[in-house]
Amino acid sequence: MSAKGLGAGRARPAARGLVLGPAERRREQLVRLLLGTAAWVTVLTTVAVVFVLARETLAFFRDPLVSVVEFFTSDTWTPLFVDKHFGIAPLLSGTLLVTLIAMLVGVPLGIGSAIYLSEFAAPAVRRRLQGALELLAGIPTVVLGYFALLFVTPWLQSFIPGLKLFNALSAGLVMGFMIMPVISSLSADAMQAVPVALREAGYGLGASKLDVTLKVVVPAALSGILAAVILAFSRAVGETMIVTLAAGQRPLLTLDPRETIATMTSFIVQAATGDQPAGSLAVRSLYAVAATLFVITFLLNLATQALVRRFGERYE
Amino acid sequence: MTAPGARRLRGRLFHLAVLVPTLLGLAVLLALIFDVLTDTVSWQVVEPRGSGVSFSFWEGISLAGSWERVARLELAARGESAVAIDELLSDPEERRKFAARNRVELMWSVDGRPLRWVVSTTRDRLVADFSLARGLRERSTHRASLESGEHLYLNPWLDASFFTRRASRSPAMAGLAPALVGSLWLIVLVILIAVPLGVAAAVYLEEYSQESRLTRLLEVNLRNLAGVPSIVYGLLGLSVFVRFMRLGPVILSAALTLSLLVVPVVIIASREAIRAVPSTLRQAAYGLGATRSQVTFGVVLPAARSGIVTGVILAVARALGETAPLLLLGAAVFVPGLPKGPLSEYTVLPLQIYSWVGENKPEFAHAASAGIVVMLAVLVLFYGVAFRLRRVFGRQA
Repeated sequence: MSAKGLGAGRARPAARGLVLGPAERRREQLVRLLLGTAAWVTVLTTVAVVFVLARETLAFFRDPLVSVVEFFTSDTWTPLFVDKHFGIAPLLSGTLLVTLIAMLVGVPLGIGSAIYLSEFAAPAVRRRLQGALELLAGIPTVVLGYFALLFVTPWLQSFIPGLKLFNALSAGLVMGFMIMPVISSLSADAMQAVPVALREAGYGLGASKLDVTLKVVVPAALSGILAAVILAFSRAVGETMIVTLAAGQRPLLTLDPRETIATMTSFIVQAATGDQPAGSLAVRSLYAVAATLFVITFLLNLATQALVRRFGERYE
Repeated sequence: MTAPGARRLRGRLFHLAVLVPTLLGLAVLLALIFDVLTDTVSWQVVEPRGSGVSFSFWEGISLAGSWERVARLELAARGESAVAIDELLSDPEERRKFAARNRVELMWSVDGRPLRWVVSTTRDRLVADFSLARGLRERSTHRASLESGEHLYLNPWLDASFFTRRASRSPAMAGLAPALVGSLWLIVLVILIAVPLGVAAAVYLEEYSQESRLTRLLEVNLRNLAGVPSIVYGLLGLSVFVRFMRLGPVILSAALTLSLLVVPVVIIASREAIRAVPSTLRQAAYGLGATRSQVTFGVVLPAARSGIVTGVILAVARALGETAPLLLLGAAVFVPGLPKGPLSEYTVLPLQIYSWVGENKPEFAHAASAGIVVMLAVLVLFYGVAFRLRRVFGRQA
């Protein structure tokens, strides 16, 4: 747009002569400055997040009781006890366990639903169903946590022996239905972006709908689908309320889904809502956990964006 | 090639296989709504410690608006003299205390006619609490095994007074009023902070910035921010607003934190809406001699209005349901009074629900489900308006 400086047209005294009067130009510059400041607030947010996490995490590692090696290798996490150990492995395994269960539920359901929405459903049906799924995605996670703890767990306990009141399985299952709409809606978009010509070429060769969908559409939309899956994974890793309410707060290095565990996020809640004094080692440890969480989700987001860029280049 | 019959069968099976996941998602949504709704009603065996005054259904309806008449009847039934009643009800402090301890609810009592209004008090002894389904199934057993002085009630947790009652240690007396007022304050503040910020940033990115390295940095950063877990924003708010700026655990800290959380949502939606404004409109305005800011605020933003409003509604819906960051900000779990302004301590709907789920007394779960029904109703309203606007907006573009 090269419209800058065209602002003198309206009935204005000719004596001013300039294209833009000085007062007008100053006002334009002020508006630009204000708008630009608003945009840079988002960058400031990121900088502040990194600064806060880095400062407290460095203070945590500088403490004589803590060592970086122990943080990554020890299998015990007990910052809230008298005998303190700082090995993040149990929190990572807890997060991974719940996330894996969620992915086992969410990925097949999400992709299956995406195929239905994109390839089978009529546009009107598609819009309705997507609206309903968006509603599922929009349910506050504290409600999903309530549902997992008070509905899903008692139901699972009726046929799974040894299932604890707080367990990874129930939290993971419900989280699966939280990420399913994310995968479904983003994957359906990716499939819709596959040119119709590709499908028609498939049908022209005598392929059935099954073949066209699985051998033409899905491979063509694969990077978009993958991006959706990684985004969902990142959401699941950072999800807090479901695991805090339904999976418990006991850091335990296990892959048994019936056990009470702790995730990175549920530990952060536990340490922050307890009566630990600010600046204590236990509180600093929660910043170290949050920094780990931030790095993991940041890397996942970078991967998603790289995939989306590749996807965008292919058909546009 | 396979035989046509087998091929058709495979096609049918495939259709079914991809239909099932969608239906399963909807089924879970329905199961959740059903579970929450049925949990708002419970069967209780109660030993009343008040007078036990009760009213028939229609009598109760006619008394619904006049708390004072009910209070008088109850006090009289407890053997208070008319003078003592007048004295108690004219003292505002005594009156408030009485209201906090006594509540009129619609309950199913077994003696005589079915639905009756019962005056219950904080001192009532709760003998047992059953879910609606179990209560219905075993109602004859429960009725038969009632001891003297005990009553079987069908307790509706989501009644009119639920919205006006304050926090309480007694589940039957606990209400949603502080959380409702807190959420309202929070939403108003988030709109005041996040909307100007988000729309301004979107305008800058779409109408002002040129392609450059800095602009690309803004873009990449924006996409990353949208993926930062909400709990990390909680830590940011705790360090910056609560501690560094010394605001403390007040509504304003929460609103600032949640504003940062939802600004990317507002920006992304507003940019889409601004991009959908035809460039001919802009060119026409420039042709008339308008300046860039006149074009932006006089032409582009009005044309993008409905799209921006849709984004704002979705952002507010997000802020309304967010719990994790607020837990870190040190929001009080038990707030006795109503918040008075941005610098009051507060609780909000999702936090109140979280704290009720975590309570020791299991009956609080019913209060939690009643709170969830209220919160979901508000969200459905928001999403409904947003979807409608999006469809109208989509047709225009």
